[in-house]
Amino acid sequence: MAELQGLGAELSDAEQAGVQIIAVSPDPNEQSQKMAEGLRLGYRFVADRDLAVTRRWGLVHAGGGPTGQHVPRPATVVIDRDGVVRWYSISTNYQVRPDPGDVLRAVRAL
Amino acid sequence: MTSGRLAVLSVTVAAATLVVYVGLFRVAAVRNHPEGYVIGFAAATALAGLALARARRGPAWLALGLSSLLLAGGAWVNFVVARVPATPTVLRVGERPPDFTLPDASGRPVSLADYRGAKPVVLVFYRGSW
Repeated sequence: MAELQGLGAELSDAEQAGVQIIAVSPDPNEQSQKMAEGLRLGYRFVADRDLAVTRRWGLVHAGGGPTGQHVPRPATVVIDRDGVVRWYSISTNYQVRPDPGDVLRAVRAL
Repeated sequence: MTSGRLAVLSVTVAAATLVVYVGLFRVAAVRNHPEGYVIGFAAATALAGLALARARRGPAWLALGLSSLLLAGGAWVNFVVARVPATPTVLRVGERPPDFTLPDASGRPVSLADYRGAKPVVLVFYRGSW
Protein backbone atom coordinates (compact mmCIF):
# COMPACT_ATOMS: atom_id res chain seq x y z
CA MET A 1 0.00 0.00 0.00
CA ALA A 2 3.05 2.23 -0.01
CA GLU A 3 2.16 3.18 -3.54
CA LEU A 4 -1.19 4.60 -2.44
CA GLN A 5 0.37 6.70 0.27
CA GLY A 6 2.83 7.94 -2.32
CA LEU A 7 -0.02 8.88 -4.63
CA GLY A 8 -1.79 10.55 -1.73
CA ALA A 9 1.22 12.65 -0.88
CA GLU A 10 1.60 13.59 -4.51
CA LEU A 11 -1.97 14.28 -5.37
CA SER A 12 -4.26 15.00 -2.44
CA ASP A 13 -3.74 18.73 -2.97
CA ALA A 14 -4.43 18.35 -6.68
CA GLU A 15 -7.66 16.53 -5.88
CA GLN A 16 -8.78 19.39 -3.71
CA ALA A 17 -8.24 21.61 -6.73
CA GLY A 18 -11.17 19.77 -8.37
CA VAL A 19 -9.57 17.20 -10.61
CA GLN A 20 -10.28 13.52 -11.09
CA ILE A 21 -7.34 11.30 -10.26
CA ILE A 22 -7.19 8.05 -12.18
CA ALA A 23 -4.48 5.57 -11.23
CA VAL A 24 -3.65 2.96 -13.88
CA SER A 25 -1.68 -0.19 -13.08
CA PRO A 26 -1.59 -3.84 -14.12
CA ASP A 27 -2.97 -4.83 -10.66
CA PRO A 28 -6.68 -5.24 -9.95
CA ASN A 29 -6.32 -2.79 -7.02
CA GLU A 30 -9.39 -3.68 -4.92
CA GLN A 31 -7.35 -3.02 -1.79
CA SER A 32 -6.02 0.29 -3.06
CA GLN A 33 -9.56 1.41 -3.91
CA LYS A 34 -10.85 0.41 -0.47
CA MET A 35 -8.06 2.26 1.24
CA ALA A 36 -8.62 5.36 -0.92
CA GLU A 37 -12.29 5.31 0.01
CA GLY A 38 -11.33 4.86 3.65
CA LEU A 39 -9.20 7.97 3.34
CA ARG A 40 -12.09 9.71 1.53
CA LEU A 41 -10.01 10.17 -1.57
CA GLY A 42 -11.95 10.21 -4.82
CA TYR A 43 -9.29 8.30 -6.72
CA ARG A 44 -10.34 5.74 -9.27
CA PHE A 45 -8.06 2.77 -9.67
CA VAL A 46 -8.32 1.09 -13.03
CA ALA A 47 -6.65 -2.12 -14.09
CA ASP A 48 -4.75 -2.47 -17.34
CA ARG A 49 -4.14 -6.18 -16.81
CA ASP A 50 -2.40 -6.92 -20.12
CA LEU A 51 -0.83 -3.41 -20.38
CA ALA A 52 -2.65 -2.87 -23.70
CA VAL A 53 -3.45 0.79 -22.92
CA THR A 54 -0.05 1.38 -21.33
CA ARG A 55 1.55 -0.04 -24.49
CA ARG A 56 -0.60 2.09 -26.82
CA TRP A 57 0.53 5.17 -24.86
CA GLY A 58 4.16 4.07 -25.22
CA LEU A 59 4.73 3.60 -21.51
CA VAL A 60 5.82 -0.02 -21.12
CA HIS A 61 9.10 -0.76 -19.34
CA ALA A 62 9.87 -4.09 -20.98
CA GLY A 63 11.13 -6.64 -18.45
CA GLY A 64 11.31 -3.98 -15.75
CA GLY A 65 9.45 -5.88 -13.02
CA PRO A 66 11.14 -7.74 -10.16
CA THR A 67 10.69 -11.09 -11.91
CA GLY A 68 11.30 -9.71 -15.38
CA GLN A 69 7.66 -9.04 -16.25
CA HIS A 70 6.65 -5.96 -18.22
CA VAL A 71 5.57 -3.02 -16.05
CA PRO A 72 4.48 0.56 -16.72
CA ARG A 73 7.03 3.37 -16.75
CA PRO A 74 5.95 5.56 -13.83
CA ALA A 75 4.18 8.48 -15.49
CA THR A 76 1.91 11.35 -14.47
CA VAL A 77 -0.23 13.14 -17.07
CA VAL A 78 -2.33 16.27 -16.56
CA ILE A 79 -5.27 16.43 -18.99
CA ASP A 80 -7.55 19.47 -19.23
CA ARG A 81 -11.36 19.58 -19.55
CA ASP A 82 -11.11 19.32 -23.33
CA GLY A 83 -9.16 16.09 -23.04
CA VAL A 84 -5.89 17.72 -24.11
CA VAL A 85 -2.54 16.91 -22.47
CA ARG A 86 -1.23 19.99 -20.68
CA TRP A 87 1.72 18.52 -18.77
CA TYR A 88 3.35 15.17 -18.27
CA SER A 89 6.30 13.56 -16.57
CA ILE A 90 7.74 10.12 -17.25
CA SER A 91 10.33 8.67 -14.89
CA THR A 92 13.73 7.62 -16.18
CA ASN A 93 14.56 6.24 -12.72
CA TYR A 94 11.75 4.50 -10.90
CA GLN A 95 12.75 5.95 -7.56
CA VAL A 96 12.02 9.42 -8.93
CA ARG A 97 8.42 10.66 -9.19
CA PRO A 98 7.14 14.09 -10.10
CA ASP A 99 7.38 16.74 -7.44
CA PRO A 100 3.83 17.22 -6.11
CA GLY A 101 4.40 20.95 -6.44
CA ASP A 102 4.97 20.57 -10.19
CA VAL A 103 1.80 18.48 -10.63
CA LEU A 104 -0.16 21.01 -8.62
CA ARG A 105 1.21 23.92 -10.64
CA ALA A 106 0.23 22.17 -13.88
CA VAL A 107 -3.30 21.57 -12.50
CA ARG A 108 -3.68 25.14 -11.31
CA ALA A 109 -2.48 26.47 -14.67
CA LEU A 110 -5.47 24.82 -16.43
CA MET B 1 41.78 13.04 13.43
CA THR B 2 42.74 9.58 14.63
CA SER B 3 42.07 6.45 12.64
CA GLY B 4 39.47 5.29 15.17
CA ARG B 5 37.54 8.54 15.06
CA LEU B 6 37.58 8.59 11.26
CA ALA B 7 36.23 5.01 11.26
CA VAL B 8 33.41 6.02 13.62
CA LEU B 9 32.66 9.07 11.47
CA SER B 10 32.56 6.88 8.35
CA VAL B 11 30.04 4.48 9.91
CA THR B 12 27.99 7.42 11.21
CA VAL B 13 27.83 9.03 7.77
CA ALA B 14 26.82 5.71 6.16
CA ALA B 15 24.12 5.05 8.78
CA ALA B 16 22.80 8.62 8.64
CA THR B 17 22.55 8.39 4.84
CA LEU B 18 20.52 5.20 5.12
CA VAL B 19 18.24 6.55 7.85
CA VAL B 20 17.59 9.86 6.05
CA TYR B 21 16.77 8.24 2.71
CA VAL B 22 14.53 5.50 4.08
CA GLY B 23 12.97 7.69 6.78
CA LEU B 24 12.24 10.62 4.49
CA PHE B 25 11.31 8.63 1.38
CA ARG B 26 7.90 10.33 1.29
CA VAL B 27 9.54 13.74 1.02
CA ALA B 28 9.81 14.54 -2.67
CA ALA B 29 13.06 16.48 -2.23
CA VAL B 30 14.71 13.37 -0.73
CA ARG B 31 13.03 10.70 -2.87
CA ASN B 32 13.73 12.53 -6.11
CA HIS B 33 17.45 12.76 -5.46
CA PRO B 34 18.48 9.11 -5.09
CA GLU B 35 22.02 10.10 -6.14
CA GLY B 36 22.13 11.64 -2.64
CA TYR B 37 22.52 8.25 -0.98
CA VAL B 38 25.22 7.25 -3.45
CA ILE B 39 27.12 10.43 -2.55
CA GLY B 40 26.61 9.72 1.19
CA PHE B 41 28.00 6.20 0.86
CA ALA B 42 30.90 7.49 -1.26
CA ALA B 43 31.74 10.04 1.46
CA ALA B 44 31.65 7.26 4.08
CA THR B 45 33.97 5.14 1.91
CA ALA B 46 36.40 8.05 1.52
CA LEU B 47 36.44 8.59 5.31
CA ALA B 48 37.11 4.88 5.87
CA GLY B 49 39.94 5.05 3.35
CA LEU B 50 41.38 7.98 5.24
CA ALA B 51 41.07 6.05 8.53
CA LEU B 52 42.91 3.13 6.99
CA ALA B 53 45.67 5.43 5.70
CA ARG B 54 46.19 6.68 9.27
CA ALA B 55 46.42 3.20 10.78
CA ARG B 56 45.67 -0.24 9.42
CA ARG B 57 43.50 -1.34 12.29
CA GLY B 58 40.31 -3.35 12.75
CA PRO B 59 37.80 -0.49 13.02
CA ALA B 60 39.13 1.14 9.85
CA TRP B 61 38.82 -2.13 7.91
CA LEU B 62 35.33 -2.65 9.30
CA ALA B 63 34.27 0.87 8.27
CA LEU B 64 35.74 0.38 4.81
CA GLY B 65 34.00 -2.97 4.36
CA LEU B 66 30.64 -1.59 5.44
CA SER B 67 30.78 1.66 3.48
CA SER B 68 32.12 0.15 0.27
CA LEU B 69 29.44 -2.54 0.38
CA LEU B 70 26.76 0.14 0.77
CA LEU B 71 28.35 2.21 -1.99
CA ALA B 72 28.44 -0.71 -4.42
CA GLY B 73 24.88 -1.77 -3.55
CA GLY B 74 23.54 1.78 -3.67
CA ALA B 75 25.20 2.54 -7.00
CA TRP B 76 23.90 -0.71 -8.46
CA VAL B 77 20.32 0.02 -7.35
CA ASN B 78 20.36 3.63 -8.49
CA PHE B 79 22.20 3.34 -11.79
CA VAL B 80 21.24 -0.18 -12.90
CA VAL B 81 18.12 -1.58 -11.18
CA ALA B 82 16.09 1.65 -10.99
CA ARG B 83 16.92 2.90 -14.47
CA VAL B 84 13.88 3.08 -16.74
CA PRO B 85 14.83 3.09 -20.41
CA ALA B 86 13.27 5.79 -22.58
CA THR B 87 10.40 4.66 -24.81
CA PRO B 88 8.74 6.46 -27.71
CA THR B 89 5.55 7.80 -26.12
CA VAL B 90 2.49 9.10 -27.94
CA LEU B 91 2.06 11.83 -25.32
CA ARG B 92 2.36 15.37 -26.69
CA VAL B 93 1.54 18.54 -24.82
CA GLY B 94 -1.33 20.24 -26.63
CA GLU B 95 -2.66 17.01 -28.15
CA ARG B 96 -5.38 14.58 -27.17
CA PRO B 97 -4.00 11.23 -26.05
CA PRO B 98 -5.70 8.02 -27.22
CA ASP B 99 -8.88 7.32 -25.25
CA PHE B 100 -9.22 4.14 -23.21
CA THR B 101 -11.83 2.18 -21.32
CA LEU B 102 -10.58 0.13 -18.38
CA PRO B 103 -12.39 -1.55 -15.47
CA ASP B 104 -12.14 0.03 -12.03
CA ALA B 105 -11.73 -2.00 -8.83
CA SER B 106 -15.41 -2.97 -8.82
CA GLY B 107 -15.45 -3.82 -12.52
CA ARG B 108 -17.17 -0.65 -13.75
CA PRO B 109 -15.71 0.70 -16.98
CA VAL B 110 -13.87 4.04 -16.77
CA SER B 111 -13.14 6.05 -19.93
CA LEU B 112 -11.02 9.12 -20.27
CA ALA B 113 -13.78 10.54 -22.49
CA ASP B 114 -16.20 10.37 -19.51
CA TYR B 115 -14.47 13.41 -18.09
CA ARG B 116 -14.28 15.48 -21.25
CA GLY B 117 -16.13 18.75 -20.75
CA ALA B 118 -16.53 17.93 -17.06
CA LYS B 119 -13.31 17.68 -15.08
CA PRO B 120 -9.57 17.82 -15.60
CA VAL B 121 -7.86 14.48 -15.04
CA VAL B 122 -4.56 13.59 -13.43
CA LEU B 123 -3.64 10.21 -14.80
CA VAL B 124 -1.01 8.23 -12.92
CA PHE B 125 0.60 5.13 -14.39
CA TYR B 126 2.18 3.10 -11.62
CA ARG B 127 3.61 -0.34 -11.17
CA GLY B 128 1.05 -1.81 -8.84
CA SER B 129 1.18 -2.73 -5.20
CA TRP B 130 4.29 -4.90 -5.16
